Order: sequence, then structure tokens, then C-alpha cells
Amino acid sequence: MSLLDIADLTLSFKGLSGLTEVLHGISLSIAPGEKVALVGESGSGKSVTARIVLGLLQEQKTARIGGTVRFAGQDLAALSPRDREGLRGTEISMIFQDPTSYLNPVFTIGRQFAEVLRRRDPGLARAACEARAIEMLAETAIPDPARVLGSYPFQLSGGMNQRVMIAMALANHPRLLIADEPGTALDVTVQAQTLKLMRQLVDLHETAVLFISHNLGVVREFADRVYVIYRGRIVEDGPTAAVFGDPRHAYTQALMAAVPRITGDGLPDVPEVSEAFLAPKVHHRLRSGRAT
Amino acid sequence: MSLLSLDHLSKTFRTAGGPVHAVRDVSLEVKSGECLAIVGESGSGKTTLANMILGILAPSAGEIRFDGQALPARRTATERRRIQFVQQNPLSALNPKRSVGASIRLGLDTYRIGGRAERWPAVEAALEAVGLPGEMRHRAPAALSGGQRQRVGIARALAVEPQLIVLDEPTSALDVLVQARVLRLLDRLRRERGLTYVFITHDLAVVRNIADRIAVFRAGRLIELGETAALFNDPKTDYTRSLIGAVPVVDESELELRTRLAEGP
Ligand SMILES: Nc1ncnc2c1ncn2[C@@H]1O[C@H](COP(=O)(O)OP(=O)(O)OP(=O)(O)O)[C@@H](O)[C@H]1O
Ligand SMILES: Nc1ncnc2c1ncn2[C@@H]1O[C@H](COP(=O)(O)OP(=O)(O)OP(=O)(O)O)[C@@H](O)[C@H]1O
Ligand SMILES: [Mg+2]
Ligand SMILES: [Mg+2]
Repeated sequence: MSLLDIADLTLSFKGLSGLTEVLHGISLSIAPGEKVALVGESGSGKSVTARIVLGLLQEQKTARIGGTVRFAGQDLAALSPRDREGLRGTEISMIFQDPTSYLNPVFTIGRQFAEVLRRRDPGLARAACEARAIEMLAETAIPDPARVLGSYPFQLSGGMNQRVMIAMALANHPRLLIADEPGTALDVTVQAQTLKLMRQLVDLHETAVLFISHNLGVVREFADRVYVIYRGRIVEDGPTAAVFGDPRHAYTQALMAAVPRITGDGLPDVPEVSEAFLAPKVHHRLRSGRAT
Repeated sequence: MSLLSLDHLSKTFRTAGGPVHAVRDVSLEVKSGECLAIVGESGSGKTTLANMILGILAPSAGEIRFDGQALPARRTATERRRIQFVQQNPLSALNPKRSVGASIRLGLDTYRIGGRAERWPAVEAALEAVGLPGEMRHRAPAALSGGQRQRVGIARALAVEPQLIVLDEPTSALDVLVQARVLRLLDRLRRERGLTYVFITHDLAVVRNIADRIAVFRAGRLIELGETAALFNDPKTDYTRSLIGAVPVVDESELELRTRLAEGP
């Protein structure tokens, strides 16, 4: 059974010029212990999907949401805002795309980390919080975790803030981890370390992972299954090897061709937006790898 | 000819936990019209170096020269206009209370570029140059996707017609199709307008295809500098070798190169 089940999700925003439709009926599911990637166009609706799963967009007045999102069998729309909030940071945690928008600039990392840990364990003493935070930070290969705890976000580099967020998101052993572009500010060796950490969490706790990334090389190495999204619609999905080995949808094919190669063949020549990008969804079945 | 030269540049931060040596004795020449990539360890001082080049931070030691003249940490408006910045965090780089158009226009107003009546059209042209619709200028940064914000940052830097642009992870928030378009655009603008880039990124595949030379940083130091192809084919330090050897790739032919490098000289 899936832990997360999104069915026919729609979203539009009410603005000055009327409604803007962003999601046109997204369906996506993740089983416990499964690593699922969501890749695709910038602005196509990946982060908003994540924010709906996290219960954040439901609180925004201009957002109109349709369809259903079930977490562990429960319809999120049927929960009170308070119960949805209770899932956040404990059952479901998220690594946000932009660490500076998530971390509070006026508190030290240590204080913010303690807050995260106390969501799961309200009585946790200060020393215990600190020890646990240092342990988690060290696992993300941050040099000198003690200094990091005493620092404010502006005193840390982009990649250090990103690792702080990764450590916070993993600390409470969530059942669902949403990682929205978790590696953009990390060098490749540190990135490999953070991916290893996420894999460990999956192996030890059967965590389900929704992995949003533009880095297709990382997706190929990390994910079990892939969904490709274009303009608010899923255009292709299937096991990672099938989608990478045999991309069938015109948009997926264009995306794969645009990945810059370390062999240095020059900047890829990219096609113009094509009608074919709007063609119906291609689904690769599990195992057989045959597209339908 | 060198446009920018860094001479024994260092930066130390004093913090409650003691001094942090972010940049240590870095000397480097950036040639006019080239794209110089800066890659390396996360936390190795790349953004700090960028901030010193831009005059946002004063060096603890050393000197910065631009077009043959020493650049002070406190800059005049003309000096500031010549070196522009595309920041690592697109959200914090844009004032949340301003429309994106107003953010772009601010530079035009500050440096008095064009007549007043020409400035809104210029803002829209700058947005269109990076592949965004001109009417997007009315939006607030919060109502844009990560990739859209990043392109606004690039449009804002280009709008004031600088000589040098320091780009800190300019395309890491973009899908690879949009990334390819933005990189081609940056490449074309560099040739057409004779721009010079300092391009900071962790994406070695991007660097391989856009940079003329690459500088590798580790723990605040410049540890390797070379022409792009040479550095990829025959890295001189183990660190550079390990970096290239760890790049996640999508193609078989890339795997071969990676494996060869990982195996050592
Ligand atoms: N609060 C909002 N109000 C209005 N429009 C919004 C809002 N948030 C997002 N959007 C729009 O919804 C669309 C989807 O945004 P989203 O952030 O999900 O994109 P994304 O797929 O994560 O892109 P990226 O890869 O660039 O991060 C975009 O066109 C964006 O401009
Ligand atoms: N304002 C500051 N006060 C104290 N320390 C700082 C400050 N800014 C940066 N540092 C420290 O300087 C070092 C270099 O940071 P910098 O942001 O330059 O790294 P970077 O190479 O850009 O890393 P990344 O790839 O992660 O963005 C880090 O150890 C960081 O914690
Ligand atoms: Mg996003
Ligand atoms: Mg940086």
C-alpha cells in the first residue's frame, strides 16, 4: 500500500487577472521505503505539489485545490489545520529549495535545531538537543558542527545552510521525506554523502522519499521511480532505468538531450517548445519496462 | 589582457567561536572577455571571494585591481555598475516587497540609464532576454518559481550593462532545458557585448561546456588553475580528480571518463 497517494490534484491561484491554473490533475504515489523522483520543467508545479502534501498551501487564501492527497490512508483535506500542522516536521518533513527562506535569520542554528527536535520530543533537554544536533550535522559532513550550531544562517555558506536543513529534516526520522532540490549548493562529494544519508534513512526506517531535482545524473543514481512533469501535467513515469534508458515522451526526450555532458560536447542545442510536449502521458510498467 | 586581478587576497571573519579563515592568500587574474569558472568544496570561500570582488565585503588583506586601477572596498556608483552580481539565493536576492520589475528598474534609476520613459520598456526587454514574459514585471518574487526568480536575477544584472558579471550558481535552480537556453544566452551575450564572467558553480558538466578556464578552491585556497579541457583530461591534484570522479552522469561515455579519472593517473 502506498504511504502517499495523490490523485487528480489540481491547483489554481486567484490573482488580479483571474485564476491561473497551475496543476491540471496530477496523480502520484509512493510506497514506504520507496525513493521517487519528480523532475521536469522549472515552474511546472513541483514545489507547489510538495507544499500541498505538507499542508502549507491549504492555508493560503488565494490557492484553490482540488483532487485528493492521502497520507497513510488519511485524506489531508479531512484533517483540521491543527492536525495537518501536527504532521509537519514529525511524520512528514521537507528540505526546502531555498534554505534562506526557511531558516530564521535572527536565531542561531542551535536554537532552531532544538525547536525541530522538540516537535517530536517536547521534553528534550538542552544538552540532549545539542548532542543530537551535532551528531546529525556531523553526518552531513559539515566541518566543525559545534561552530555551526552557534552561528546564524548568514555566517554560513550556501551549502552549509543546505546541509543544516537536510540534517533537520532527517533528525526526526519522518515517514515521508520531501527533498526539494536538496543538492544545488553542494559540491559533488558532499552531495554524495547526503544522498547516502537519505538512503540509510530509507533502509533503516522504511522512509518514503519524494525527491525533486533538476540534476538528472543524481536522479538516475538515487531514485527507484521517476515522474516527469511539464506544465502541471505528468507526461511520463516509470522505473528509473526505463525512463532514462528509453524515454518515450517528446518532453522527456528533449530534457535528456539537454543535460550537459562532462565529456564536453558543447552546450546542448535545445529545441523550441513543441506541440508534442503536450502529448498524452507515457507510463512504463514496473519490471517489464515496456511503455504503454 | 587582464580585466580583474586579485593580489594576495584574504578574508578572515571574527566570530564568537573564534576566527574563520574563509579566503587565504588568493592571487588570480581574470582576462577580459573570458569565462572563468570557480569550483570547489562547499564552504571553501567562493561566495566570500565574490563578495570582495563586488565590494560587499572588505578584504582582510590583499588588493583588487580592475581595468588597471586599484579598487577600494568602498565603491563609487560607476565602479559598482561595472561589476554586477547574480546571487546564489534568488529569493533573498530580490526584495520581497517590490515587484520584480521594480527590482530591475532600480538599477536603471540608480545609474541613470536611458531616459525615464525608456526604462519600463527596458525592464521588459531584460525579462524577455532571459526568456520570461515582459508582463511578469508586475509579479512579486514570492509568486515565481525558483527558476523564474533565478532568471530575474540574471535580467537585473544584464540590464545595467556591466563589464564583468559574477555569477554564483546562476543555473542550479533551472531545469536542464531552460538551463541550456540560459547558458547559451549568457555565452552569446558574452561574445556580443564583450562581457567577462566569473562563474561560480558546483556543476562540473556545466563548467566543462562554458568555461575557458577553471579555478579549483579548497579550504579557502586556490589549489589548481587551468584551461578547461586540460584540467578535465589531466587534473593535477587529487582533489580535482576526486571531484570530477564523483559527478553523477547520465551517459555511458561520461562514465568512462569518470572511471578513468577515479582510477588515478
Ligand atoms: N503563491 C503563488 N501565487 C501565484 N502563483 C504561484 C504561487 N506559487 C507558485 N506560483 C506559480 O505556480 C507555478 C508552479 O510553481 P512551482 O514553485 O511549483 O514550480 P517548480 O516546478 O517548483 O519550479 P522550479 O523548478 O523552478 O522550482 C509557477 O508558474 C509559479 O509562478
Ligand atoms: N559573515 C560571515 N561571518 C562568519 N563566517 C562566515 C561569514 N560568511 C562566510 N563565513 C564562513 O566562511 C567560509 C566560506 O564561506 P563561503 O560562503 O564563501 O563558501 P562557499 O565556497 O561559497 O560555499 P558554498 O559552495 O557552500 O556556497 C565558511 O566557513 C563560512 O561559514
Ligand atoms: Mg521548485
Ligand atoms: Mg557560496
